[in-house]
Amino acid sequence: MMNLLETDNRTEANASDSDGASASPGGTCSLSTGSAVGAAPPGRWLHRAAVVLVAMVWPLIWIGGQVTTYAAGMAVPDWPGTYGYNLFLYPYQTWLFGPFDLFIEHGHRLLAALVGMVAIVTVALAWLVEPRRWVRWLTVLLLVAVIGQGLLGGVRVILAARTLAMLHGCTAEIFFALCVTLMAVTSRWWWQQDSAKSPRAPTNGPGERVPGRGVIVAASALVVAAYLQVVLGAQLRHVQPTASPGGFTHLVATHLVTAVVVLGLALGIAWRLWTLVRSRTETSGGCGVLALLKPAWLVVSLVWLQIGLGLATWVSRYGVPTFAQVGPRSSSYLVKSQAFVESLIITGHVATGALVLVTATFLLLRMLRFRHTRLSLLAPTASGT
Amino acid sequence: MPLSRHLVFWSLSLLIGWGSGCDSPTDRFPPNELFARVVVHPFSGEFERASTDVGRLVESLFGTPDSPSIPDRLLAAGDGEPLLDPQRLARASGPVSSDREGLNFGIYRAQCVVCHGLSGDGFGPAAALQNPYPRDFRSGVFKYKSTTRGSKPTRDDLRRLLVHGIPGTGMPSFARQPEDDREALIDYLIYLSIRGEVERRLLAWSVEELGYGEADGPTSAEDSLVLLDSGRLASDELAEQVDEILEQVVDSWLRPEPVAVPTPPTWDVSELASAAARGRELFHGPLANCASCHGTDGDGSAVTLDFDDWTKEFTTRLGVAPSDPIVRDFRRAGALRPRPISPRKLSWGNFRGGSDPDSLYRLLTVGIAGTPMPGLLVTAEPGGVGVTPDQVWDLVAYLQSLSADAPAPAPRSAE
Repeated sequence: MMNLLETDNRTEANASDSDGASASPGGTCSLSTGSAVGAAPPGRWLHRAAVVLVAMVWPLIWIGGQVTTYAAGMAVPDWPGTYGYNLFLYPYQTWLFGPFDLFIEHGHRLLAALVGMVAIVTVALAWLVEPRRWVRWLTVLLLVAVIGQGLLGGVRVILAARTLAMLHGCTAEIFFALCVTLMAVTSRWWWQQDSAKSPRAPTNGPGERVPGRGVIVAASALVVAAYLQVVLGAQLRHVQPTASPGGFTHLVATHLVTAVVVLGLALGIAWRLWTLVRSRTETSGGCGVLALLKPAWLVVSLVWLQIGLGLATWVSRYGVPTFAQVGPRSSSYLVKSQAFVESLIITGHVATGALVLVTATFLLLRMLRFRHTRLSLLAPTASGT
Repeated sequence: MPLSRHLVFWSLSLLIGWGSGCDSPTDRFPPNELFARVVVHPFSGEFERASTDVGRLVESLFGTPDSPSIPDRLLAAGDGEPLLDPQRLARASGPVSSDREGLNFGIYRAQCVVCHGLSGDGFGPAAALQNPYPRDFRSGVFKYKSTTRGSKPTRDDLRRLLVHGIPGTGMPSFARQPEDDREALIDYLIYLSIRGEVERRLLAWSVEELGYGEADGPTSAEDSLVLLDSGRLASDELAEQVDEILEQVVDSWLRPEPVAVPTPPTWDVSELASAAARGRELFHGPLANCASCHGTDGDGSAVTLDFDDWTKEFTTRLGVAPSDPIVRDFRRAGALRPRPISPRKLSWGNFRGGSDPDSLYRLLTVGIAGTPMPGLLVTAEPGGVGVTPDQVWDLVAYLQSLSADAPAPAPRSAE
């Protein structure tokens, strides 16, 4: 059986991290605004650019989701221009005060173009200030991804292909996860884990336990399952007119089962990390694991929200299922086509699904980093003793 | 495990998860294999031949989902206003798009196809998860309308349905859609229904009259519905028969008249209560006998086992039990799993055909087409066989009294 928790015997005094988690000698972890360890990490502007990207891509996914919800994907028949105009020169009066589907589709394109520009700036910053070669190439990958995503969206319009619209929706979430990856690996916390290798670093307490391989596997499975949910949801939203009812029903069933799997994984990981934190306080050590627990609880909260939004999405789209019609209100619920609030619920389900994916990705990256740095400390110590 | 190996692992997992293909073809309406199987069932022949030949013939008459055409006879039908408008039909059909002025195209595919299917067969992707199942327009039977049980709905009926939707089902209200879009949808719905009903009648005719039900198929080329290179049938006689079938179906859509509803009595509050009490007696009594299906006080407690006509067509009417394994063959041909129909729980007050007095009066006297809900026999004088119009109004008063949410308190109140 896989060992979920492994023990790091390196003995240090207090621990702290960029999230302000610190341990007192008395054995309690607290969240403080304590100073960071070591000098300011290089590439702070790169990190800020990554944060800007993340902050822009989520709204971009929202608007893209609204494009699908309002069936506005073909509201502008040409690409890369808009009705013959250069994308940036399309008359703003016609855009802002024209038909709603044109408003969201053209707005989606404009925001995507802006994201592309920020991605270019990110690459430039990376090659200027980032010392790690793989991170510099990560920004290049990100730029290639955003260009590819734009091309995919364009080809979807030119070919009027529903399947490509579905692919465009799926790859958007990968791009979002890449942005969050860049944000995570350029963060102060990430750098501080490196400084844990220095003799000055106050990292672990006696008997500190790091996330074991089992939790890492669970977190990886969570990312995969969260993305599988994205793909299944995209297939449901972009279902082909001639798809069979049996196939659609299986998709829905798989979507529901996977939702339970995602919830179970998120709860299991959070519970494991919580036991780690508890064990930390009992042994009077560092509380770096708190930096893992917080995103873990965030994933759990988001998954619960997502399940609620998923149920609301079904009701908004297809009405209250018969088994849930338990009274006059539920049995007389009326589905409304193109209703604004309902459209926000449906698109909110898409956007929250993206948040679940990227938060799980963020958690996994932190766990890998945390475990890797702690275990790399263990090896020389063990051989030395 | 090193970070790089992890990255490779879940990058591959994500790529595999895509599992996508190309757009499914929508260049042709799927043939009605279900009804072909139904009509061939008593015979020894193969249903594929009938469905294929008839499908091609119907395509020559009605075009394709992307490019529907209207037969000349249908184009000329209608007094003054044509039954179908080619421009509206063009807007409702085809792939989804919109123009710079916000004019929508492909409205049926954007709004309806996921439940009602490409050919209006009620076999759309999400159909199996709806209760009741989405309507199959091809049989030309519509449940909620102002006309007699066997008649087609009026254009106003369809308009009302699109605006109000059907609460408690997956059928949405399209009140927020532009009126032009709703009108285009009505045209397309009528088009799909006529097209589907013509296809059904041609299938029945081909199997019963032309020999398509036999193992060898039609005995002569003169009886074959295969189109010649010229796009015509082999004989003028066949063409005339096809034209006649088309005419019959089109005529059924012309001038459907609403059922006349007599003027309701004028009641004050106490008379209204008395009417509701009389209505309750009728509801539970042998004359109307509503409680036998809808339960005491309409609480839905009665145990029933019945099916709608769309299900009966491939089961009980062929002598096949809905649980028989042979039903799987019909399901493969486009039928949904037989599901017993449940009488409405009237005490919840959600009357799908409309909660206003006139709609309830019509529903009680006409029944609901395609379902086991019968219409009451209305007689001028009270007797042992039917109910008088006043008694129907009593029932309406009772039905409305069942629900606190009923939109109108009574048929008519003097106060």
